[in-house]
Amino acid sequence: MKRPVHLSTPLATESIRNLKVHDIVTLSGTIYTARDMAHLKLKELKKSRKPMPEVFRGAVIFHAGPVVKKEGSGFTLLTIGPTTSIRMEPHSDLMGKLGVKASVGKGGMGNESLQAFKKYGMVYLLAAPGCGVLHAQAVKEVKQVHWLEELGMPEAIWVLEVTDWGPLTVAMDSHGNSLFHTIYEEGLKKLDSLIKD
Amino acid sequence: MKIIETKFAESFYESLVRGVTGISPDVLQLMEEALAEEKSPPARAMLEAMLKNVQLAQKLRKGVCQSPGIPCIYVRCGPELAGIDVRKITGESIIRATREGYLRPSIVHPLTRKNTGDNSGPGIPNFEIELDPGLDYLEAIVSFKGCGPELFNTFKTFTPESLGKNFAGFKRFLLETVINAGGKPCPPIGLGIGIGGQMDGAAKLSRKAISTRKWNDRHPDPELNLLEQDLKDKINQLGIGPGGVGGQTTALTVKIGIAYTHTAICPVAINFHCWVARRFGFKVYADGTMEEIL
Repeated sequence: MKRPVHLSTPLATESIRNLKVHDIVTLSGTIYTARDMAHLKLKELKKSRKPMPEVFRGAVIFHAGPVVKKEGSGFTLLTIGPTTSIRMEPHSDLMGKLGVKASVGKGGMGNESLQAFKKYGMVYLLAAPGCGVLHAQAVKEVKQVHWLEELGMPEAIWVLEVTDWGPLTVAMDSHGNSLFHTIYEEGLKKLDSLIKD
Repeated sequence: MKIIETKFAESFYESLVRGVTGISPDVLQLMEEALAEEKSPPARAMLEAMLKNVQLAQKLRKGVCQSPGIPCIYVRCGPELAGIDVRKITGESIIRATREGYLRPSIVHPLTRKNTGDNSGPGIPNFEIELDPGLDYLEAIVSFKGCGPELFNTFKTFTPESLGKNFAGFKRFLLETVINAGGKPCPPIGLGIGIGGQMDGAAKLSRKAISTRKWNDRHPDPELNLLEQDLKDKINQLGIGPGGVGGQTTALTVKIGIAYTHTAICPVAINFHCWVARRFGFKVYADGTMEEIL
């Protein structure tokens, strides 16, 4: 495996532009979870010009819904792992506008995201899927939560402090490259030789 | 019956906690074998992370994956045990495990999206019960998988023409479905295929095949066994790999369930399962004896 590039939040556009598909990244700093409902709510807020719950300039968005236990006045995070990112495909341009620099998830995103990543200088980082305990080891603190009552545990925005989180794979970069597109094309090429009609 | 119910409830909860803090031993074995065979370095790194996660989950006694999906319970019941309220007992265990932090509350109203907060709700868990006069026990098999893979489940009704020679039409449809899903359903996947019946029958067969069978077993029908092996080999030549990073480990298993169908149609349902197979099962006899079967 390649030597990891270590990044800290807030992420600078320049350090994101330097990343290429297949690079390995570790992350430290503040990250925000957001799934379908949080993205939809952010879209509504933006449309109606209402204030955002956080400043997302240089931010890392984790497509994930954790398992969290309330303890005293705070929360303890038990497990967290990536959800299927393609569901968030319609929102990549909005994320770019808000200043988000990296989305972390699993399975990859599509062409609209690739365009947004190019335009705004963003990357998609792949986190090992199904590894809820492993990723939780990097979470040092649950700093805050937005919209928990309204959206429920998985869909709320959890603000987390992480240290040396990774390895995460740069699977889509800001130069129009996607690991998933390459693998998809190769799979299609293989198809005819596997099926003898 | 009350005593058996209490004992069943206790055993069920214990099995549930053990079940969701690890993966099924047969699947773990297939994962280890896959790592031994896998050549691509990124794929190896992915498999190693997954196996490390399983070890950590068992050691720390935490849910192996944050996503419990929609719990599925398959019950077969003999007449002597038909009085046990399995639906209620299993539903209550799931709520308890959610409160204890082993399962994330992930169940919502399908339209309003309001979360019930404890994985309860009408139709939850997904529950199938089969009464069998020939049984002197009650058998329950429980399966948890992540919900990401559900996004790629699909269904098609073939005709004798579109099914094709050597089922080529069906095979092409299956491989295209797997290519389109790519890394999204948490590969290495298990694939359940339901063939026959009508739409609902094929869909149920597809889920049941991948949720109740050991992933390293063989189909009792030799021809279907060969078809399962053939499809798995073909899928593993597509190059998708663990997590979608490329490699030869895309499917750990393919499981086919069939029912006879009408002469005009061949319904086919495809059910994706992530690598995080949390499955357990046991039998309860009328004298209260319990026996683990998975």
